[in-house]
Amino acid sequence: MNALILSRIQFALTAMFHILWPVLTIGLSIFLVILEALWIRTGRDDYYRHARFWSKLFILNFGIGVASGVPLEFEFGANWSHFSTVAGDFFGNILGFEGAMAFMLEAGFLGLMLFGWRRLNPKIHLFATTMVALGASLSAFWIMVANSWMQTPAGGYFARGHFVITNYLAAIFNPDTLWSVTHMWVACLETSLLVIAGLSAWFIRRGRAKEFFLVSLRLALITALVVAPTQIWLGDGSGRTVFRYQPAKGAAIEGHWTTNAPGHGAAWALVAWPDQSAQRNLWAIKIPHALSLLATHRWNGRVVGLRRFPRADQPPLLPLLFYAFRIMVAIGFIVLGLALWSAWLWWRHELVPERVGHHRRWLTAWILALPLGYVAVECGWIVREVGRQPWIIYGIMRTAQGVSKIPTGDVLFSSLGYIILYSLLVTAFVVFFRRIMRQGPDLTLTPPPLHPPVPFALDAQAKPHALEDD
Amino acid sequence: MLTVHSFLVTVWFLLLGVILALYVILDGFTIGVGMLSLFSPTEERRSVLIATLGSVWDANETWLILLGGALFGAFPVVYGLILHALYIPLSLLLFALIIRAASFEFREHAHNKKGWNLGFSGASALIALSQGLILGDLIHGLPLRHGHYIGGTWGWIHPFSLAVAVGVLAGYGLLGATYLVLRTEDPIQGRARIASYWLAGVTFVVALLVTVWTPLSYPRIAHEWFGPRFWLFVWLPLIAVGAFALLIRSLRRGHEALPFVATVIIFLASFGGLATSLYPDIVPPSLTLKEAASGSLTLVFMLTGIGILLPIMLVYNGYQYLVFRGKVRIGESAYSHE
Repeated sequence: MNALILSRIQFALTAMFHILWPVLTIGLSIFLVILEALWIRTGRDDYYRHARFWSKLFILNFGIGVASGVPLEFEFGANWSHFSTVAGDFFGNILGFEGAMAFMLEAGFLGLMLFGWRRLNPKIHLFATTMVALGASLSAFWIMVANSWMQTPAGGYFARGHFVITNYLAAIFNPDTLWSVTHMWVACLETSLLVIAGLSAWFIRRGRAKEFFLVSLRLALITALVVAPTQIWLGDGSGRTVFRYQPAKGAAIEGHWTTNAPGHGAAWALVAWPDQSAQRNLWAIKIPHALSLLATHRWNGRVVGLRRFPRADQPPLLPLLFYAFRIMVAIGFIVLGLALWSAWLWWRHELVPERVGHHRRWLTAWILALPLGYVAVECGWIVREVGRQPWIIYGIMRTAQGVSKIPTGDVLFSSLGYIILYSLLVTAFVVFFRRIMRQGPDLTLTPPPLHPPVPFALDAQAKPHALEDD
Repeated sequence: MLTVHSFLVTVWFLLLGVILALYVILDGFTIGVGMLSLFSPTEERRSVLIATLGSVWDANETWLILLGGALFGAFPVVYGLILHALYIPLSLLLFALIIRAASFEFREHAHNKKGWNLGFSGASALIALSQGLILGDLIHGLPLRHGHYIGGTWGWIHPFSLAVAVGVLAGYGLLGATYLVLRTEDPIQGRARIASYWLAGVTFVVALLVTVWTPLSYPRIAHEWFGPRFWLFVWLPLIAVGAFALLIRSLRRGHEALPFVATVIIFLASFGGLATSLYPDIVPPSLTLKEAASGSLTLVFMLTGIGILLPIMLVYNGYQYLVFRGKVRIGESAYSHE
């Protein structure tokens, strides 16, 4: 164990833990905007109650997201100070933008969103919720910009151990950016809709507030029908970018060792066991031409094999890469299947309060699918980050060159601290999550008046007490 | 070209100063209230303290995130150097921020709030302590060789940094206490007033001690203070002493907002003194601003992105304070006064 390995483990751990929370924050905040807008448009109290119920989960989730996210920004300087110095002109700039455009927006309107129900005109409240959602999505945009620049650096040159930026547009919209931003953002929507649908199905299956949860389940299903196929398409685009700009990563993900000869298609290994020391797959089940089709969309497209790269330039942990990728893809198709199954039932008029409870298998399927989004997101990040190795800036700076010169004991100290604290966070989350679910929604909650007499409820002193009845 | 670059570097030094000052004051009172909440005699009264923070604590902490990002972009060398040199106190700060956020959120849900209360106050104190140690060690100076930190794991702990840490603890406590004078009514307000006197006393003594100690043991700072810019520096302690007098007077006369304002002035004066003493170094004693800064293009790009947004951030953060202004009363939790 040295400071490099420990710093890598620590970063992987903190990042993998942290990403669990913002994915739901991003999707759920958009869901809350939709619910609130529906409430204001239709005036139906149920939408208001929905917004209030789901925002309980939102707050709980958001709190852990904030708590676990703070260290990440500072880890770059603390554990990866050489990387920070080399790349700071661009990378640091982008993290600064994330703080200014995303986190501050989110935080600046969060208080209004959480505590402003009776102090604000509903339309202003909706605006606050929208700003929280916008901030959350913008944070995904900027962090993916920063990360995609590490994958496919562009927009400047490296001189005297320093990245000099010359073209911001090229650096921000580097070859990987658009695919990865959209792929991640849609992953957030998909994960969130699986959580919303899974929990709604759970309530319906237990016969609790059936009619109420059918509303959120249907909203999730509509989203799923659009999101699931879109995500598969985006995944395909993302994958092709990898083969084009990070060929070693692409070959490693697919266990593809030798470049196919011209006029011959590359076969795709459905399952295999890649062995790095032998530089081949120990065994594999292959589909001819499939890899050429996937990577290049051509029958005999050329796909560079991993053996073309020196051992020192190959990603590590090949079986992990290989299977993490396959799990992610499988989940993408499972969700598509679930969406189609649901569309079929809906088409047959089965998704009505009287009949929906009979489809117990279908409800169980959605309940079981609840964590799949998270699994796919983690697998996707493993593929993305482990696949980038041994580089911290792809093709330019090695991870080992980016690390700070700090004593191993120091890193051990911080790593243990994070492990203990994050375990505590998860435990507390589970306890309070169960409590929120056991309580369920408050179906008697009275919403504030949709058209309050004072349009800008700035008279904070008088209003809340006059209305403080629920 | 060189002069344009120097100008940009100075602008960013000032902007970072503004962001840091906003963070210190806003999160300072949040931390202060957090520490004081340990001494609430009943859960009901503690809930009032926490309700005064409910809508704003997250935004207040976010100024630190913004500071980190802006520092990373504008002065990457400083960012890399400070964070890894002060690895242990930084880790303590981050642990404390995690515990505070978790305690704040979970306290609302918990039936038995004891553990979370302790977590919230303890973490607030640890945030203040670690920030004080970091500040103290930065004034003390980071030992560098060829641009690398050579101070070791425990280099940040010494009498001077400990003295500064006591000052920061008392100062944040004072910000919190005067904020409570503004936001609460008796009996909580009365107790906050008494706490303000004590904390003002401690803050004053430590500030005086640090002000005398600094030039005595750090000749480079003495050189700055008593050099040609003497007339620039001499105002700041005078303003601070005046603000202390205003603080005591306004507390005595029962003012509600003035004590907090006076405390903010004390902080700004100390802060101004610190910034002018450091300039044009950024990591004393050996790293100047210009050596540490990003290229002109980055500084301009960040200025258009962050500099222009800064006033907008102030507007919506201000709106949040405006909507939730006024006294928080016993029996109101953060959620009941929505």
